[in-house]
Amino acid sequence: MIVGTIKPLEEIIVSVRGYQNIRIVGCGSCVSVCLSGGEREAKMLALELSRKVHHENDPPAVSVDTILRQCELDIIQAYHPVPEGIDVVLSLACGAGVQTLAEAYEPLPVLPALNTTFLGASFESGFWREMCVGCGNCLLTHTGGICPVARCSKSLLHGPCGGTSGRSCEVNPEIPCAWVQIIERLAKQNKLDQLSAIHEPRDWRPAGGAGPRTRQRTGVGGSPGPRDHLGDLWSS
Amino acid sequence: MLYFQVNNRCNGCLACLQNCPANAIDVQDSGAKRKLLHNMARCARCGNCWRVCPQQAIEFQHLLTNQWDEVVELELLCCRICGEPLYSPAFSQALAERTGASIAPLCARHREALVQKVNTHFAGFLSLRTGKDEVMP
Repeated sequence: MIVGTIKPLEEIIVSVRGYQNIRIVGCGSCVSVCLSGGEREAKMLALELSRKVHHENDPPAVSVDTILRQCELDIIQAYHPVPEGIDVVLSLACGAGVQTLAEAYEPLPVLPALNTTFLGASFESGFWREMCVGCGNCLLTHTGGICPVARCSKSLLHGPCGGTSGRSCEVNPEIPCAWVQIIERLAKQNKLDQLSAIHEPRDWRPAGGAGPRTRQRTGVGGSPGPRDHLGDLWSS
Repeated sequence: MLYFQVNNRCNGCLACLQNCPANAIDVQDSGAKRKLLHNMARCARCGNCWRVCPQQAIEFQHLLTNQWDEVVELELLCCRICGEPLYSPAFSQALAERTGASIAPLCARHREALVQKVNTHFAGFLSLRTGKDEVMP
């Protein structure tokens, strides 16, 4: 999921300074699950922003809404209109949600109240770890389901560096060495020979750097293209 | 109340079923009847059904805001003084097993008031016995 962390309160307060009628919008998806930007956090932030202590003059009026997914323009437009009189929207979604909301509510200012941190997973309650950088060219097939791009501090693709200390990364002993994990996993699977395979130089172009990446799935809804169940799922 | 609701514009074309990425919509044709089925546990609430429906028949708002389902009903112990509902007898028992002491059902306000009263009443005695002049709540 997309993991986020709510911005420091001081930063949020500065960003909404001068506005009189604030709408805080939580997101009901990833950031709800990672306990940073859902309905609960939206209500808590509303309570905090309503306190006199944060404002030189009267505190602003603060209302709350939560949208199932802030990254879907048509649902926002159809079901979440902004009430009259709102002069700023404070979004607790990831960057994708904030920008979609800004598009939907233009010209109303939509400000972020959350920092989007990484694509991660939770292995214990209340703790998330980065697992994926969205490089667009997944190599987990060859690495025992452990991503060296995301989980090796140097994103090395050809085995551990000389700084591996025991099973830890030299950057921080609390970070397990991704390559030790990969080798151990492949050994358990009896597939260590996979590491001897020769690969072509990696294509990093899908990782971005040439404008926003897009994905077009034709054959869905009213879009042009094949109308069978899978559409152009495997077309190039 | 159903989460997935269609209005009377639905003509059974099954565009929703064909475009549901979660396989949450199914159809049963029996005799001369067509029945549309929805499974909330599978539904991702992605809105695809609503987007593709050529009849605008899907009332998606029910998937965004719906009613609360009643899950369980339990007896409650109430504050002995003011009657404020507190917790279930089973919870009280679990608490007693963990702490090794059962507590009288009192709300936070009356528990505090009681402790203060006890402390005031027995201040001298407590000081004599324990060197402290109050009991912990």
